[in-house]
Amino acid sequence: MMRAWPHWMRSGRVITGLIIIAAILVCAVFAPWLAPHDPNEQNLLAALAPPAWLEGGDPAFPLGTDSLGRCVLSRLLYGARVAMTVAVLASLGAMVIGAVLSYLAGYFGGYADALIGRAVDVWMSFPPVILSLILMVGLGTGLRNVVLAIVLVDWTRFCRVLRGEVLVVARKDYVAAARLLGFSHWRTITREIVPGSLPLLITLISLEMGIAVIVEAILSFVGLSVSAQTPAWGQMIADARQSIHDAPWNLLFPILMIFIAVFGFNMLGDGLRRTLDVRLTATERA
Amino acid sequence: MTVEVLVARDLTVTAALAGRPLPVIGELNFKLARGRLLGLVGESGAGKSMIGRAIAQLLPHGFAVTRGELMFDGEDLVRMPPADRRELLGREIAFIPQEPLSALNPVLTIGRQIDEHLRRLGVTGTRARQERALAMLDAVHLAQGRDLLRKYPHQLSGGMCQRVLIAMAFASRPKLIVADEPTTALDVTIQARIVKLIAEMQQRDGTSVILITHDLRLAAQICDDILVLYAGRMAEYGPARRVLAGPAHPYTRCLQLSNPPMSGARRGLYVLPERMPGLSALASMTGCPFAPRCPSVVADCARAPPVFAEIEPGRGAACPRHDTTARIVAPALAPANAAGCAALLLDVKGLSKTFRAHHGFFRGTSVDAVKNVDMTLHENEFIGIVGESGSGKSTVARMLVGLERPSAGRVVIAGRDVSDGGAAAGAHQRAHAQMVFQDPQSALNPRRRVAAIVTQALEATGAATSQERLARAGELLCEIGLPGEVAMRLPAQLSGGQRQRVNIARALAAAPRILIADEIVSGLDVSVQAQLLDLLLRLRRQRGLSLLFISHDLSVVRYLCDRVLVMYRGEVVESGPTAEVFAAPKHAYTRRLLAAVPPDDPSVAWTPDEVEAGRARSLSHG
Repeated sequence: MMRAWPHWMRSGRVITGLIIIAAILVCAVFAPWLAPHDPNEQNLLAALAPPAWLEGGDPAFPLGTDSLGRCVLSRLLYGARVAMTVAVLASLGAMVIGAVLSYLAGYFGGYADALIGRAVDVWMSFPPVILSLILMVGLGTGLRNVVLAIVLVDWTRFCRVLRGEVLVVARKDYVAAARLLGFSHWRTITREIVPGSLPLLITLISLEMGIAVIVEAILSFVGLSVSAQTPAWGQMIADARQSIHDAPWNLLFPILMIFIAVFGFNMLGDGLRRTLDVRLTATERA
Repeated sequence: MTVEVLVARDLTVTAALAGRPLPVIGELNFKLARGRLLGLVGESGAGKSMIGRAIAQLLPHGFAVTRGELMFDGEDLVRMPPADRRELLGREIAFIPQEPLSALNPVLTIGRQIDEHLRRLGVTGTRARQERALAMLDAVHLAQGRDLLRKYPHQLSGGMCQRVLIAMAFASRPKLIVADEPTTALDVTIQARIVKLIAEMQQRDGTSVILITHDLRLAAQICDDILVLYAGRMAEYGPARRVLAGPAHPYTRCLQLSNPPMSGARRGLYVLPERMPGLSALASMTGCPFAPRCPSVVADCARAPPVFAEIEPGRGAACPRHDTTARIVAPALAPANAAGCAALLLDVKGLSKTFRAHHGFFRGTSVDAVKNVDMTLHENEFIGIVGESGSGKSTVARMLVGLERPSAGRVVIAGRDVSDGGAAAGAHQRAHAQMVFQDPQSALNPRRRVAAIVTQALEATGAATSQERLARAGELLCEIGLPGEVAMRLPAQLSGGQRQRVNIARALAAAPRILIADEIVSGLDVSVQAQLLDLLLRLRRQRGLSLLFISHDLSVVRYLCDRVLVMYRGEVVESGPTAEVFAAPKHAYTRRLLAAVPPDDPSVAWTPDEVEAGRARSLSHG
């Protein structure tokens, strides 16, 4: 029975995803030590320097500088802080709201289910990006409000998918058996239903983190995320637009970072879905 | 031209699992002549279905025929090119599946599916195919064929779907039909008719049929020959009636004795201990695979595998001590408790349940699932409820434990009226009556360990420590006859019988006085069934338990229950002491149920259809 690694740790996708995310997390946490410059330090004499390995590059700015002469590498490293904070907090928040409501809907059924189901339908009929933009206009900028906006938009994603799963589990005889043995509703949900839907929940979280990274980038691209003093990847893309012909790398690096982060979360999510889903056979998991 | 349609010579199927070859089926030899019906019987895991799959060469991944041949009409099915075999399958060799509903495409009408099948068989012309389809449905006694062709599978009952599939299997007038447990998913009364239908069609076309079944009584009635398999080896082979009238192999005998009789005196059941050896255990066995469970085992049995030898012309058995088999007898029936003036535990009056289905806001239909049911259950009494699916048996059970609220009527448990459904009534109900669910797959949480499952009653109060719970789990497992080491296993790591024991143990943990068991032995092998029935009777002696046993298997109810209630379409149509009801049934439905069970004695004619004739013709499309 003793195994060195749980089986989901042996999936190539899960390991790839975890390595990518761990690398980005290290960048975010250790940004002050890793970054060669202050991310907001302007060096107008070295504006729009190309990456160090290109002709005219300056080794002091490994990935070049933007139009205000700020170090791109430093900004990317600090930008990871915003991206990771939003990814983790927003997806956890969305999960808590979505999961609680889906357990209530799926377990109790009837009116609770009808009410929550309709709320999800109405919520999901708004285009998510527009909804978050409206929320940001109303709430004002700032990291906390970005997280809040994403939570308020994306809880439906959890609720809809989980509700189906809870509905299936709640109709199982072992749930009826637990009730017959005197389990309270709370105990029945936490002991009999939640463990069964945990794999799905974990999978959804890691996919949601990827989505949160994108939404945060969109919001900061239009200047509705964190303040201009805090470097964020979407902001970098927006800034780079002005010099797109002179310095295309300014655009490429933040896009690449977003791509890598989302790819990492999706790999992890897909790997977890395949390894944790008991309904898939061994060959489908590979 | 050979008269043998199918001949197996030394057929051996090997599985390459965990790196070493394990023989799944070993040296099978049988002959199936034209127009004969061969029954394959044995417990699950004996390799019955593997033979059907070997014929179609649809073996699971890693399994292969490694030796021997399987001659169909003079050609070896194993070595013929796949294209030739495909040509034969569906045309010369047809299959009748176990689950009729999943074998039909749910989004196509019956007409479309038959039409496509006929087109594949080369019938040209839409009109010709439709006429052929109607004739086919008529042959399997499905009335109103024209309407039926426009219907979808979900609009038909399981029995009707199976008839359609039988019609399709016989459409090409195949030489061989393989029917893998064609009736297990169906009701008893329909089972009898489906089996009779297969036999009738087989006689009409002179088809050879392989019937895979676990029902020895059924095999004795309709099969010409019978092959008893044990752990993939031939245990006994010969003419069905002679084999079952006097089995030569101890395994056949034990299987017979573990099935409760339908007629004559009630007797005890022979309880086969343990389980059939698994593939890897089998590979390391030197002697007879049945030796560890055999009642007439001697030291020699463990030395070398027994040789399958002819014991009389046309009949063989793999047991050198076959002459001692007749000495194996069923144990005596355990003495029943003196019921006498036992206390009344359960008193049900006028219990009814109406389900309302809503379609939109205003329209709705209601179904009377249970109508006006009265019953009583005394301390230490076992009563049975029999009836076909949809008769309301399970709804009664669910109302008695409080999983459904009755629409009308009164349920008094141990002197307290619990029909108001309040919290205090619920607690009283739970303390006195517990339910054992039908399907252990759904009744046991796949993520919890056995110890946690069986002590859920302690968990509910939240007061017990994990040490207390583990200790209690050990006691409970011991009481239901499971080794202590299963405590830390997950349900998926248990066998079907073990899971059902865990299911029972969980209900017992709440120390109820009434156990309500919903079809808890259906779908299990007779040997496992005998073990569980034995357990229930032991619990009755030790705990003074009362049992409400819901079943469609009349022989089990006859063995276990003092009184029986027969339910039909939500109503109790007959009730009384089991022996009286079974000996002299008063209601026509009870007579039909009883006639649907094949008689114990293979020489007695089985006539489920004659009782049938009394029913209105319009109801006859089962």
